[in-house]
Amino acid sequence: MKTYILKRLLLMIPTIVGITLLTYLIVRLAPGDPIEAMIRNQSGNIDPKAMKEDAQKIRERLGLIDYHYVRDRFFGAPSEEERPQPTGASYKVTDALDTVASAGIGYGRWVGHLATGDFGESIKYRTSSGSRNPLALIAERIPVTATLNIIAELLIFFIAIPVGLAAARHQGKWFDRASSFVMLAFWSVPTVLAGTVLLGFLGKGGLGWSGFPIAGLHSFGYEKFSWGEYLADTLWHSVLPVVCLTYGGIAYLAKLGRASLLENLRADYVRTARAKGLPESRVVYHHALRNSLLPMITVMVLTLPGLIGGSVIVETIFSIQGTGLLLVNAAQAYDLALIMTETLLYGVLTLVFLLIGDLLYAWADPRVRYE
Amino acid sequence: MSSLLPQPDSALLGRPRSYGAIVWGQLRKRSSAMISLAIILVLALAAMLAPFVAGEVPIRWVENGEASWPIFRYLTNAEYVAMLAFVLAAALPLTVRLVRRRAERVGASPLMRAIAIHAGIWIVVAAGLLTLREPERRYGFYLERAGEAQSAWFPLIPTPRYPGYESLVHRDEPPSWQHPFGTGRLGDDILLRILYGGRTALTIGFVAVGISACIGVVLGSLSGYFLRWVDLMVMRLAEIFMFIPQLVLIIIILAVIPSSVDPLWAVVFVIGVTGWTGTYRLMRAELLRIRGEDYMTAARALGLPTWRLLLRHAIPNGLAPILVGATFGIAGAVFIEVSLAFLNLVQTPSWGELLTDGRQHLETWWVWGSAGAAIFVTVLVYNLLGEAIRDAIDPKLKV
Repeated sequence: MKTYILKRLLLMIPTIVGITLLTYLIVRLAPGDPIEAMIRNQSGNIDPKAMKEDAQKIRERLGLIDYHYVRDRFFGAPSEEERPQPTGASYKVTDALDTVASAGIGYGRWVGHLATGDFGESIKYRTSSGSRNPLALIAERIPVTATLNIIAELLIFFIAIPVGLAAARHQGKWFDRASSFVMLAFWSVPTVLAGTVLLGFLGKGGLGWSGFPIAGLHSFGYEKFSWGEYLADTLWHSVLPVVCLTYGGIAYLAKLGRASLLENLRADYVRTARAKGLPESRVVYHHALRNSLLPMITVMVLTLPGLIGGSVIVETIFSIQGTGLLLVNAAQAYDLALIMTETLLYGVLTLVFLLIGDLLYAWADPRVRYE
Repeated sequence: MSSLLPQPDSALLGRPRSYGAIVWGQLRKRSSAMISLAIILVLALAAMLAPFVAGEVPIRWVENGEASWPIFRYLTNAEYVAMLAFVLAAALPLTVRLVRRRAERVGASPLMRAIAIHAGIWIVVAAGLLTLREPERRYGFYLERAGEAQSAWFPLIPTPRYPGYESLVHRDEPPSWQHPFGTGRLGDDILLRILYGGRTALTIGFVAVGISACIGVVLGSLSGYFLRWVDLMVMRLAEIFMFIPQLVLIIIILAVIPSSVDPLWAVVFVIGVTGWTGTYRLMRAELLRIRGEDYMTAARALGLPTWRLLLRHAIPNGLAPILVGATFGIAGAVFIEVSLAFLNLVQTPSWGELLTDGRQHLETWWVWGSAGAAIFVTVLVYNLLGEAIRDAIDPKLKV
């Protein structure tokens, strides 16, 4: 087991490096300039030429052009016409090799900053006392997203598995056919449509039964609630968002659970169990179901990125201040530090969960460890 | 000499059927597959022939005793190219039969040869059209002068101009004969927007899935065939794309794509580049199975070069599951487009845009209703078809 854990941990390293590199490269290759975006965000539309000069000043102050310094030291100073002009259109290095080298230096610098816990500054969320650390911004919103997703995962599991089980036991009968079609239909409804219809017909001020709140996770003045009221209020607010988050996952997992159980019901050990004269319920629940639940561990973890993607939409529809809405806002404001931090966090979180899932699997099924 | 060899009893064996023919035979038995295929065809035709269904340019126009066919001058080059692709695809069986009759020598299969011929024709004609032809673009010309013509065949629904046309007289009208799907806030005909949105959906679905399938097949077969460090490296690359949620990855890429790029192609590009991990894993698993098969050992023993082993023997035998993945992928791509339109990250006439417009005003149910129905039906039929193909490929599973 120890070797298995060690192997898994070692394999994680290149993936983490890759995730950071990809995030960095996407932002690096972006044609827009983060410093110019920052100036635009603070002072509105200003004369482009003045902005370029301001951006150049900021860059010099922050020491962002020291790549040239490094290059000059190693390869000798380039002649005047080769050197990029300080007032030039943007910080562009013409030579392809230079681009790669400067990206490399930039990446190293960024990772160095990450290692010291410096995730940059958010340009979108600024207060009078200065800019916010993206990590703190995200950390504030994680509880909301995490709560919704945990409730959603639990619901998915406890609804999908029984449905899949029933469908597999009555293979080809009416329940199997009906549930198959309903699951496929669920799987074909986009979250935006489901959210729109639910909100429009069940939400306050809507067309139908207008009982559910339409925005946020708390009522007005929730700070004064007792904890019982607070809990009930939060749960009531999260009904519609959780429905939007779960129905697709239920459809997916029910289909997989059915297929997995069917495969196990045909296995030799099930025939043996039946031949021994065990009651059918024991054969199904004790032998087949347990074995078919094993691969579900990995499946559940692999649905996590999809669930996070779904919560981006759901949080936007229901105006829930979670990490998904934060990402959308950051993308619209060109807030690169926030975008990068959040992407990185999502990647690493999924990686960690997958590791936990794999370890659980290896603990439950010793054959995996010796592969 | 050949008469000395034992001859297979043709009466016993029957005509040998190719793998594709077996799968097609299985598929034809499933009513859900046939119904979804028919709906897919109808949707594709409707999207392609949109100007004939709704629009302002007449198909036939007689004025001063002179008859003309204006719509053919107005059809854009892209429309002609798409129609040609459709016709060529439909004519493929004919060419296969012709090629099979002519060619007896051992070589590429008749299907491959027919595809190559048709692709050649398509490329030549498309290039010629794009360089030589200039479509007519004057709108608002025929509809007002309809009374002056002796005879005019307008499209089924004569609606002024293309999507985005604003007619302040007919705003927020429920479905009627003139506007079968109603009109929107700006007097825009919803049917027109559905038809043109269907084009966007199909383009995104097919091109994006084509890109991601190509990437997935190439990387997956390399990874599954060579194993060792190639597999280790490519698997890490796939993990990166798997662990960052696809929607998040798309959002950050779209945030940094320059605005000069056409939003439609930006979306196609990001979905294609980020969505290949599913195909990759399928193809890798297939190659792991195939590389141990007897025919691969035989081919290797013959001393065939590696590229030939991969291209002629390994990859063609692993493509069937990819077809299933691609069919589901088209449905997934339509979903992603809806999400992106909703997040206001792309501006292109699409069903997602229509749905997002409609959700602001739920009382005009025909707007969000028709967009939602279009998305739902399209995604459902592709999912149904994908399931049916999967069952047809692997009848023993019969899920």
